[in-house]
Amino acid sequence: MSMVKLVNIRKSFGDLEVLKGVNLEVSQGEVVCIIGASGSGKSTLLRCLNQLERISDGEIYIEDVLSDKRANNKDLMKIDPVTVQSLCADLGMVFQSFNLFPHLTVIDNVTIAPLIVKKIDKKIAETRALDLLSMVGLSEKKDEYPSRLSGGQQQRVAIARALAMDPKIMMFDEPTSALDPELVGEVLATMRQLAEKGMTMLIVTHEIGFAREVADRVIFMDAGVICEEGSPEEVLLNPKEERTKSFLNKIL
Amino acid sequence: MLNEIQLWAIVNGTIVTLEIAIVAIIFGAIFGVVVALGRLSKSKVANTLSWFYIWFFRGTPMLLQLFIIYYAIPIIYLDATGSTFTVNPMIAAFVAFSLNATAYLAEIIRAAIESIDGGQMEASKALGMSYRQAMTKIIIPQTYKRLVAPMGNELIMLLKDTSLVSTIALFDLLRTTKTMASATGSWIYYIYAAAIYLFLTTIIQVVFDKMEKKLGIYER
Ligand SMILES: Nc1ncnc2c1ncn2[C@@H]1O[C@H](COP(=O)(O)OP(=O)(O)OP(=O)(O)O)[C@@H](O)[C@H]1O
Ligand SMILES: [Mg+2]
Repeated sequence: MSMVKLVNIRKSFGDLEVLKGVNLEVSQGEVVCIIGASGSGKSTLLRCLNQLERISDGEIYIEDVLSDKRANNKDLMKIDPVTVQSLCADLGMVFQSFNLFPHLTVIDNVTIAPLIVKKIDKKIAETRALDLLSMVGLSEKKDEYPSRLSGGQQQRVAIARALAMDPKIMMFDEPTSALDPELVGEVLATMRQLAEKGMTMLIVTHEIGFAREVADRVIFMDAGVICEEGSPEEVLLNPKEERTKSFLNKIL
Repeated sequence: MLNEIQLWAIVNGTIVTLEIAIVAIIFGAIFGVVVALGRLSKSKVANTLSWFYIWFFRGTPMLLQLFIIYYAIPIIYLDATGSTFTVNPMIAAFVAFSLNATAYLAEIIRAAIESIDGGQMEASKALGMSYRQAMTKIIIPQTYKRLVAPMGNELIMLLKDTSLVSTIALFDLLRTTKTMASATGSWIYYIYAAAIYLFLTTIIQVVFDKMEKKLGIYER
C-alpha cells in the first residue's frame, strides 16, 4: 500500500508556477528526506499534501484514497469534505517555526486537537499526552507555557502535539532550521526515534548528515521538479545530476 | 453642600451614565466579534455588510444615531403603519450606544485577530481543526490581552459620550449637575461632576491594567 501518492502535481501562485509536475509515491514505514535550494517548492509540496494550499493540477492519494484532484485550479470531482478532512488528519505536520499555541500550557497544546476534533475523553487525552511528552522527554514541563521553553523543547512539544492525533504519516518542514546549533541534536534524536518505530515520514531538511543516516530515500528538488532521487548513498554521495552536485557543494 | 435630594439625583444620574456605558461595552464586544469576523470572512455578502455597518456608525455623529433611534424611528413607524409608537429613552440609549460601540470594537477586534501570527491558523488546520474551532479555541483567545487596553479606552470614551443622552430626555450625571448649577447659580456642581467622572475613569483604568497583566501570564 502506498501511504502517499502524488500524480503530476502542479501549483501556481498567480503567474508563478512553483511546482511543475511532481510525481512521488511513499510507502508505509518509509522515511523520505527532501532537500533542495530555497524557493524550489519543498514547503509548498508538503503544504499541498494536507491542503493548507490547494494544488492547481494533479491528483493526490492518501492511503490509496483520492483526496484531491484538480485541473486549472478547478476541482475535477467533488470529493466529500468529511473524507478529505479524515484523510488530511492522517498527516501530521511539524513546522519550522514550531507554531505552538502560546496561550495553552504544554499539555493543553498536546490535548486540544484530540479533545475538540476527535472529541475523545479528557482523561484518555491526558494520559496519551503524558505518554507522548515522556517519549519526547518533556513530562516535567507539562504545565509550563511554551514561551518558557527553549526552541528545541518547543519543537519536541510540537512533535508530540502532532502525534497526539495519531497520524499515519508525519511531515516535517525544516524542523531544526530555526534552532540554535546546540539544540538541533535533541530534535533530530526524537525524529530518529520515530523513524525507528516505523513511522512513515516526509522530511524537508538541510541536515545532510541526518538524511544520510535515517532516510530510506532522498529527493533533490530543484525549480519545482524532482531533479534526482534515490538512496542516500546515490543522491548524497554519488549524485548524477549536475544541479544536485552543485547544491551539495554549496551546503557542505 | 449637597442636600439629600440633590445627592440622590446625582447618584441616579451617575447610575444612568454607568448603565449606558456598561450595556454598550458588553453588547459592543459581543456584536463586535461578529462584525469583525464578517470583515475577515471570505464571503462577499458578510464582508460587504460588515463594511457598511462600520462605515455608517463610524462616519456619522453619535448624536445623529441617537436621534434616528429616538425621534426618527417612531415617525417612520407612524408613516408606515399609521399607528403611534414611542421609544423608551433608556432603551433608545442602550441601543444607540451599543450599535455605535459595536462598530468601533469591531475594528479593534479585527486588528487584534489580524495581528495573530498566521502560523497559528495553519497549525490548527494541520491538526484537523475547522475554521470555527481554530478561531474560537486558538485565535480569539490570544487576542484577549491585546484587546484589554483598547476596550478600556472605548469604555472611557463611552462613559463621557453618555452625556449626549441629555438630548433625549434622560438625566445623566452631567445633565443632573448642570440643572443644579443653573438653578442655584453655583459652579460647585461642575466640580462634583468632574470628580465623579475622574473617579470612574480612574477605576476603569486600574481594573483594565490589572486585567491586562493577568491575561498576559503566558507571555513570560
Ligand atoms: N502563499 C504564497 N504566495 C505566493 N508565492 C508563494 C507562496 N508560498 C510560496 N510562494 C513562492 O513559492 C516558491 C516556493 O516556495 P517554498 O516555500 O515552497 O520553497 P522552499 O523550497 O520551501 O524554500 P525554503 O528552503 O526557503 O523554505 C517561492 O518562490 C515562494 O516565494
Ligand atoms: Mg520552505
